[in-house]
Amino acid sequence: MRVAVPRMGNLPFIARDLARRFDFDFVETPPFTERTIEMGAAMAPEFACLPLKAVLGSFVEVLEEGADTLVMGGGHGPCRFGYYGEIQRRILERDGYEFDMVVIDPPSTSVASFHRGIRSLVPSSKVSLRALAFELRAVLKKVEAFDSLEKWAMALRGCEAEPGAVDAALEDARALVSAAFTTAEIRRARAQAQERFSCVRLDRGAGHLAVGLVGEIFVVLEPFFNFDIDKWLGKRGVVVERCVHITDTVTPGRKNPVYGYDEHAVARAAAPYLSHEVGGDGLLSVGASALYARRGFDAVVHFLPFTCMPEVIAKGVLAGLSRRTGLPVLSLTVDEQTGRAGVATRLEALLDLARSRRQSRLAAGVPVERYEGGWQVGDNS
Amino acid sequence: MKVGIPRALLYHHYGSCWLDFLERLGVEGLVSEPTTDDVITTGSVRADNETCLPVKVFSGHLMSLKDEVDAILVPRVVSPGAGSCACPKFLGLPDLARALDEEMPPVIAPRIEVGRRKAAWAPEWYRAGRALGAPRAVSAAAAVRLVRDLERLDRCPERAEPSGELTIGVAGHLYNVHDERASQGLLDRIRALGARPVTVDEVDPRQARRQAESLSRQLFWGFERAMAGAVLHWSRTRAVTGILFVTSFACGPGSIVGALLEDELVRESGVPLMSLILDEHTAEAGIVTRLEAFVDMLSRSASARPQALGEGAAG
Repeated sequence: MRVAVPRMGNLPFIARDLARRFDFDFVETPPFTERTIEMGAAMAPEFACLPLKAVLGSFVEVLEEGADTLVMGGGHGPCRFGYYGEIQRRILERDGYEFDMVVIDPPSTSVASFHRGIRSLVPSSKVSLRALAFELRAVLKKVEAFDSLEKWAMALRGCEAEPGAVDAALEDARALVSAAFTTAEIRRARAQAQERFSCVRLDRGAGHLAVGLVGEIFVVLEPFFNFDIDKWLGKRGVVVERCVHITDTVTPGRKNPVYGYDEHAVARAAAPYLSHEVGGDGLLSVGASALYARRGFDAVVHFLPFTCMPEVIAKGVLAGLSRRTGLPVLSLTVDEQTGRAGVATRLEALLDLARSRRQSRLAAGVPVERYEGGWQVGDNS
Repeated sequence: MKVGIPRALLYHHYGSCWLDFLERLGVEGLVSEPTTDDVITTGSVRADNETCLPVKVFSGHLMSLKDEVDAILVPRVVSPGAGSCACPKFLGLPDLARALDEEMPPVIAPRIEVGRRKAAWAPEWYRAGRALGAPRAVSAAAAVRLVRDLERLDRCPERAEPSGELTIGVAGHLYNVHDERASQGLLDRIRALGARPVTVDEVDPRQARRQAESLSRQLFWGFERAMAGAVLHWSRTRAVTGILFVTSFACGPGSIVGALLEDELVRESGVPLMSLILDEHTAEAGIVTRLEAFVDMLSRSASARPQALGEGAAG
């Protein structure tokens, strides 16, 4: 059995760890390229969203490299994602590929079906239930560590004194966490990583903007599709906070350990604009934007794949939120034809707008200097 | 007190129940006029440009109602049947309606969750009744009746199955198929070509449910599950000669269900299937040409090989 999983943000690190833990024969999914997207888009239904097309393209690549078991996330609606594994299986089978598709439903849909999914990869003859639960807990800790590293990097990149210092720290920190295996090692590695980040020299005097990043998880997490937005903004002296993390999505319960606001708080903040769950990350996008507005952020960037159902709803109400709170919100729709230059131009315009808004608020005497959990998110210079 | 109901989206499923509810409350219900070009143009301008055609039509109807009524009823349909959910646009529809225009009259949005615990959603209809000024007892009675009517909708009696002539199963959301303007008079055009159209709501829901359950992974959207079940029923019982899959541009569930049905019908060599995508620019000529070609193909293959319909003709 040669297993492959799709790429998304930190997922490749996690997949490597899981393969080591449960002793899989594992095919590393290659990074996304133009070719991946083209292949996926050619085979997929026209109005399916980019995640389906992109993942389909990378499935073809790993199947060509000899994978025979594909793993895909599941779910029980209303977002289309829950049905993607099935559609991809049908498309690939029709094209003559031979493989097993394992769709793992999240525990929130059904614990039994989650367990069944896991067991088809890790048979009970190999790993006992107790050991499985123990290992999965360690993996979750590791996912959380990886997500925290990204969160720190986004908060610091905008105010680094030497360009590239934060990225170097992130790389070192990732190596530290990757090597950790047991829960205790992960905890130690995380502390060392934090130490490594605290060595980065910062320049708080440059008057950086604070921008919130919301949207559909796949395009927000995968640098190939969001044009490396966190680095792009960081280079222009912007402190970034993202509300979407893998940890928050897979952690059972309503806590979002990395983002920090639990789902009740998000739903309460979103309520004036969107008062019901709409599937996917739609409610989170609206709630987090409302929270960013309340916390005095300078702008919000909203990423969505073309035809994404939950995020189109979010986009519809975000316009109203922007009108009512005065917070500039830029919704960027991404598909296989989106060009980097168009996105960059609009982002530059957003930053100009945010900067002049900051200036006029300063002139009006609105305090904009804030510290949250040790991170400075605004500045009054 | 006048309450507006846009003649769009789920009005085509639940409209009669909603109007009965208003009547029992003693409130005047006003349904917007059938869709016109103006409605679609206004809707496309006002609604977010990435939403699907039916939501744009809905927005157009809302705009045409907003100055004439004191409140608008936009129920939030969370689940149309047991173990299913609705497309995200229905979950967020009342919020989209409120965000559409600053002078929108109050949007009343009680939930519909058929097949879930009644205590969770029926009280919202009671509160809606109270908000519309009806006395307690009247609101409660109207809410109880509405819940019962909605649950009964799911088990409508089976209608006579067609036979003999050229029959085309039109698999599409009722709000597209039954909207004369949005679908460019699709059903009449099929009739004009000498074929008989049957729609999804003419299939016994129990049959449809049973057929949909035979899929290897259950569809979780209720309306689409019924649609897929109807298509499988038509194809497996050969109740129709061909199937026309009608969906709208950027329809999320439609893209998935369309691909699924295409694949399923090819695998089990079912009847031919053609998909038709509607948007606000859909023109008459394009539809007519494709329909004629489809009907020609069906009648030719029906007369040539009555036993082996549809081989290699899907898609």
